[in-house]
Amino acid sequence: MRWFETPNFDFIRMHNIAYFFSGALVVASIIAILTLGLNYGIDFRGGQEFVFEFEEPVNVIELRSELTEPLGSVPEIKLFGSEREILIRVDTEQDIAQTRDLILSEFSSLYPGNEVTIEKTDLVGPRFAEDLKVGALYSIIFALAVVFIYIFIRFKGWYYSAGAIVALAHDVLIVLGIFTVMAQFATFDVSINQAIIAALLTIVGYSLNDTVVVFDRIRENSIVYKTMEFTSMVNKSLNDTLSRTVITSVTTLFVVSVLFIFGGEVLKGFAFALVLGVILGTYSSLFIASSLVVELEKRAMKAKEK
Amino acid sequence: MKKQNNGFKIGTIVLFLGLTLYYLFPTIQWNLEQRHMNSMTEAERLQYESENRVKLQELRENALSLGLDLQGGMYVTLEVGTAQLVSELAGDFADESLEEIIDVARERSFEQGTDFIDEFVAEFESRDPDAMLSRYFRSDAAEITRRSTNEEITAYLQEQQAAAVDRAMEIIRSRVDRFGVTEPSILQQGSNRIVVELPGVDDEQRVRDLLRGTARLEFRLTPEAEEINTTKEQFADYFGNLLEEQEQDTTASDSAEVNTNEDEIPNLLEVFDLRGTNQYSFGYAAETDTATVNEWLAKEEVQEMIPRNMDLLWGAQPFATDSGLELYEMIAVRDQIELTGDVISEARVAFDPATNVPEVSMNMDSEGARRWARITGANIGKPVAIVLDGFVYSYPTVRSKINNGRSSISGLGGQAEASDLVNILMSGALPAPLDIIEERTVGASLGEASIQAGLYSIIFGLTVVALFMIIYYRTGGGIADLALIVNIIFILGILAAFQATLTLPGIAGIVLTIGMAVDANVLIFDRIREEMRGGKTLRAAIDNGYSNAMSAIVDANVTTFFVGIILYSFGVGPIKGFAVTLMAGIVASLFSAIVITRVIVDYLTRDKAAKVNFG
Repeated sequence: MRWFETPNFDFIRMHNIAYFFSGALVVASIIAILTLGLNYGIDFRGGQEFVFEFEEPVNVIELRSELTEPLGSVPEIKLFGSEREILIRVDTEQDIAQTRDLILSEFSSLYPGNEVTIEKTDLVGPRFAEDLKVGALYSIIFALAVVFIYIFIRFKGWYYSAGAIVALAHDVLIVLGIFTVMAQFATFDVSINQAIIAALLTIVGYSLNDTVVVFDRIRENSIVYKTMEFTSMVNKSLNDTLSRTVITSVTTLFVVSVLFIFGGEVLKGFAFALVLGVILGTYSSLFIASSLVVELEKRAMKAKEK
Repeated sequence: MKKQNNGFKIGTIVLFLGLTLYYLFPTIQWNLEQRHMNSMTEAERLQYESENRVKLQELRENALSLGLDLQGGMYVTLEVGTAQLVSELAGDFADESLEEIIDVARERSFEQGTDFIDEFVAEFESRDPDAMLSRYFRSDAAEITRRSTNEEITAYLQEQQAAAVDRAMEIIRSRVDRFGVTEPSILQQGSNRIVVELPGVDDEQRVRDLLRGTARLEFRLTPEAEEINTTKEQFADYFGNLLEEQEQDTTASDSAEVNTNEDEIPNLLEVFDLRGTNQYSFGYAAETDTATVNEWLAKEEVQEMIPRNMDLLWGAQPFATDSGLELYEMIAVRDQIELTGDVISEARVAFDPATNVPEVSMNMDSEGARRWARITGANIGKPVAIVLDGFVYSYPTVRSKINNGRSSISGLGGQAEASDLVNILMSGALPAPLDIIEERTVGASLGEASIQAGLYSIIFGLTVVALFMIIYYRTGGGIADLALIVNIIFILGILAAFQATLTLPGIAGIVLTIGMAVDANVLIFDRIREEMRGGKTLRAAIDNGYSNAMSAIVDANVTTFFVGIILYSFGVGPIKGFAVTLMAGIVASLFSAIVITRVIVDYLTRDKAAKVNFG
């Protein structure tokens, strides 16, 4: 079987559409993040989180209203995989054992006879959450910086670095934007926690993989086809590597989808970020990163001529 | 030349496979043993375990261990309270201005996430640049004198902090060991944090108390009955007046709305009974009202009514009234501490011979015994309060002088509390309070569900990718699949060799690697196809394919590896596990995709006429 054996798409010419499309998505994401705010999970916000498993299904809406008074604030309550499992997140400074006992005593009066077990509890202090948030931010910035420097050294041109970084930031921003919007209605946990940061960094790594393969081809082709115009050469490189880009994207998309469907409730948000990331990463490597390199190179040349 | 080259490659493959199997062997054996043991009856299993204890222990230690998120357990991050430590180091030199500086520094280091000692010194110097820290700190051992410079004292404080963390780690380790957890892990994180991982623990509250327990044991005398009564009368007058004023206010304003002002706490007399159950008892309150009482007692005007040498402390256990109501007693004790827990040389759980209620029986060292004899001798007929962490456990009346340094703590909640108290008393007092700043527990059932989900994902992901590769690249795909399976075994081997733990995100990392590991082979095979389209022979196409794809493979993987390193250095707990598998996956997949497939492809094309189908 062969896909895209000798393709000849004009990726670079499509860049205006791509820029418009990506620009709109990025702007929408930024607006979503600024207006709705990033939906921080317990890792970055602090507080207490519990996952309970009941014998019989329970009503989330009813629970929310019943628990608001004893807890002193509206708790965040979600189903956790099935109708019998629920996740409760509480912003409180009181002792976690007290919160737990409070919730359990409400349960027993609300649902007498419905046995409940505690599957998971998390407590993150506000200061520690702040530390984790700063650490996460640094790690993303640091990762992008390392990528910039490495590509600069390996491909000897700042426009390669710039093209790659813009594409990566694009991927990360849009994933965050989608997560922010999805927080309004998603049926699984899409809060931004450490696992999502890990997913974002993996997306950075993955998207970069694709981009670097194309860059490598550009580097190689520029030696073989010395006289070819830069734009056509970049386009040729994109086409040369297209079949590989598609195949790898397909296999990776397979596995992250498997993870999303079968990986269990704990990994749902993480796997979902990866699914988005693989799609966006492939798209940005094909349509954004290389187009930017062409554009930046052109401008650099013009500046030189002057 | 060529042959020799492959000989080397085959050698490394055999070596790595051998190493992997060597490291994975205990894991396989451990799993077989567990399966074997699970098929036995309880009695058989216990006997088998005791017979093979050493062997099983060894296997468990060397087997690839599962993270807490997979096997269930408790993960706690503790922070050493440096502020309290500094305040304690100042000891008697501490004054109001120092406490104020400590408060400001604590607040600021909390808000900005900076080091407390740095903030403390900065705040101290900003208030008065000429002020000397030596006013507050002395230590003969560290040669800190009145002439020490602020820099020397800063260094001294930092040393003390490091020492406190070390000591706290030691104490926690000994407490956890006594508690009896298999494979606990206790690690320092940063300058003042300690991470404790306890697999299989399900009684969180007990662990919490055990880790944080300071066990500040104090023996105190009680004030004279008249003194207590005078204070009570003052209380009754003061709050009686308040109550009257309140009633006048209420009748004056709209009587329908009595408690409009929610900030106002109820009058002490409404929640606290000043009568007490005996002459040393200051009064009692229901558990729900103790917070209100504490709030009143914290007020300055109330504090002024209490004599300087008198402390009011709550009893540790409630007593029940006839109507079944549980009440907590407040006991008046002297502020002077006669004897502390430092003198305890031995503690053990004992049972009160009359009631069979568990208590902790203690022996004191010779110095303690001498002082204990003096205290008891001088106070026959009077009570001695036994205070633990600010709560009065009991205040038995001294019947005779105690010469042998014996004493006991009664009024405990049960045998578990008694044995934990013994544990804490024997492991020594923590040098500074510990705060739990992060705590995560995972139940065993969720862990098991996660393992199942992870396994399904691996099997399903592997099958789909493998089938796809065979359909797309034919023989080449088959070879890549073989490399993929070896790759997964390698990853597990690397994890076992580095004694890493397998976490749920780690399993996700393996699943992700399955998708990405074929990338190197996709690059190579696409290149081979391309070379063949260009008219090259199969052999030449294979040679060129491998060598031309190399730079792309290396560049792409080096950058991802960097990301793995960053993730590892910032991430905590399970995320670290993800980073480890990601990096192990990159190394393993490079090796299997480049070296292993090459050897197989070369073997299949050893005959010039041979054909290998790359689809």
